[in-house]
Amino acid sequence: MNGAPILEIKDVVKRFGSRTILDGISLNVVPQEIVCIVGSSGTGKSTLLRCVNGLEDIQGGEIRFEQTRVEARSKSIKAVRMRIGMIFQQFNLYPHLTALENVMLAPMVVHGEDRKTVEERARALFEKVRLSQRINAYPAQLSGGEQQRVAIARALAANPHLLMFDEATSALDPETVGDVLAVMRDLAVEGRTMLVVTHEIRFAADVGTRMVFMDQGKIVEDANPREMLAHPKTERARQFFSSIRG
Amino acid sequence: MNYTFTLRTVFPYLGGLVPAAELTLTISVLAILISMVIGAVVAVMRRSRLRAVRFVGAAYVEVMRNTPLLVTLYIVYFASPAIGIRLSSFTAALLGISLNAAGYMAEIIRAGLIAVPRGQFEAATAQGMSVWQMFRHIIFPQVFRNIYAPLGNQFIAVILASSLASAVAVEEVTSWMETVGANSFRFFETFVVAAIVYVVLCQTINLARLQIGRMLFRQPDARR
Amino acid sequence: MSGSLVFLPLFLKATGTTIWLSWLALLIGAVGGTLIALLRTSRLWPLRVIALLYTEAFRSVPILIVLFFAYFGAPVMLGFDVSPFVAATFALALHASANMSEVVRAGIESVGAGQWEAALASGMRMREVMRHIVAPQALRVILPPSVGVYITVLKESSLASIIGYFELTRTGLLVRETQGGGFGPLLALAAIYFILSYGISLCGAALERHYAVGGATSTDAVVGGMA
Repeated sequence: MNGAPILEIKDVVKRFGSRTILDGISLNVVPQEIVCIVGSSGTGKSTLLRCVNGLEDIQGGEIRFEQTRVEARSKSIKAVRMRIGMIFQQFNLYPHLTALENVMLAPMVVHGEDRKTVEERARALFEKVRLSQRINAYPAQLSGGEQQRVAIARALAANPHLLMFDEATSALDPETVGDVLAVMRDLAVEGRTMLVVTHEIRFAADVGTRMVFMDQGKIVEDANPREMLAHPKTERARQFFSSIRG
Repeated sequence: MNYTFTLRTVFPYLGGLVPAAELTLTISVLAILISMVIGAVVAVMRRSRLRAVRFVGAAYVEVMRNTPLLVTLYIVYFASPAIGIRLSSFTAALLGISLNAAGYMAEIIRAGLIAVPRGQFEAATAQGMSVWQMFRHIIFPQVFRNIYAPLGNQFIAVILASSLASAVAVEEVTSWMETVGANSFRFFETFVVAAIVYVVLCQTINLARLQIGRMLFRQPDARR
Repeated sequence: MSGSLVFLPLFLKATGTTIWLSWLALLIGAVGGTLIALLRTSRLWPLRVIALLYTEAFRSVPILIVLFFAYFGAPVMLGFDVSPFVAATFALALHASANMSEVVRAGIESVGAGQWEAALASGMRMREVMRHIVAPQALRVILPPSVGVYITVLKESSLASIIGYFELTRTGLLVRETQGGGFGPLLALAAIYFILSYGISLCGAALERHYAVGGATSTDAVVGGMA
């Protein structure tokens, strides 16, 4: 693993009106790390991801991606977004485009690549997520698991340096969760850098290189997943892990 | 009743009906286009972050939807000389109808915008698209699908509204009916002919809208 | 606009005339619309077709030509003169009935089939089912959009000015002429219509909240068109 961090989050504060969602978050991600963020709902996990690519602005602290400062409303944010791939809980595929068109759009329109190159890459990606036979289907014709795999292909098509998963399996039927997790596992094995917000603790333990436990807008624990599960250092973490085990 | 319905009596006047119908169609098409532009602006205003801008947009919609079209037409027609603009009857009627229609169009477009899930904006933004790119590739296609049917209905409403142009001396179909009726006293026949013209126009638009829609949005049925 | 204040009583009277005309037309239109709606939901298909043609016809034809026909055509055809008031009421009511028939139909159809079956099974006759089971429920669905139809009729009543009826618009135009032309009276006209129309729609919204039933609202799309 390369030593220099690809993502530096330092003392980040995020408020919505009078509510403080992120209360001094500090986190570094180094290339090829698989960082899994866990915690109860509403503790700011998704918000943190959204601050990294500028979907939300921050009121305090600093975020740096590959040495570039992340500022939500500045011109430099585009370069940041071009190198980060995000996968959403609700998939957010473009309904008026086929699966293939969904994957091909951003590389052509945002990255300015030519159609032929992009199409080749897209087809290869569909092979990778095992959906080659569905490339001409519209999102409405795909199951949740299939849509999410297309969404992953879409994120990969832009050659991102960091992949962010915002509860990627939370909206899926239990049967299809496995398909999507399998794809995510493959990506991890490949050496991708991943920031994963998830409820799937077992996945985090198997695949993650690091687990971050968040509670009420703060990072409470940050350690190797197996370590944390076996010996949680704080009461809060202990409560959390035992409650979900039940 | 000493009146016998004889359609033949109207035949000599049918020549004048063609330019009148053309005028009806012209005013309607132009009014729809203009009202779409104004309506889009107002719809976007209503989604603004600034309260004042939102208010102006909402006020425009409420004023246009709560005042009779006839009054709007009279204001444009009679009052424009007062502020120094000389408008022809056609232009005044077109402007009045467009301004009124824009109030309804703004709401149609606004509903179409709202129906696009927030996640679409987020996904497009997260992929690095500029506002223009996002609008062009993601938002506009979806908004268009959403407003397509109401747009067709609005087109029909404008065709019917164009009949009020006769009140400010535009020689469209309703005006034809008035004039021919007054000259020939065959009011029933002229009414029937005029009614047929409007019905044909409206139903044709309806059918065309359905057919074109089927061709444009040729997506197979959803899985669920 | 200073001179216009003298005409305030005139405007008030004209406003009353407009409200009276619209209200009458709506009433007649509601009765007619209910009849048409009953035809539309009849078991006999010829009746359904007639009702469908009626509604489609009046929604594809501008009210102005119906108005002209009623006012100018009647003396020639029927042999007696028709006052602008009668012609206007006739035309407005006709159009209102087409719109109201759709509203009432939606109201009738909103009462689930299960209710019908239960009522009929308990031995009630059609008429009694209508009266005790369907009508009360249908009314709650019908009331809010009816407010929308009333507002449309109110705006359409301005067309009566064209055939010389002294409602609000005609009065406003007259005042304008005596004032030597200009903006003022026309703006006052618009303001009065706006206050009436917007005020009534606020009442409609309050009605909706009171009844708190899902379904058509008073601001729903093109009930009655652009007026």
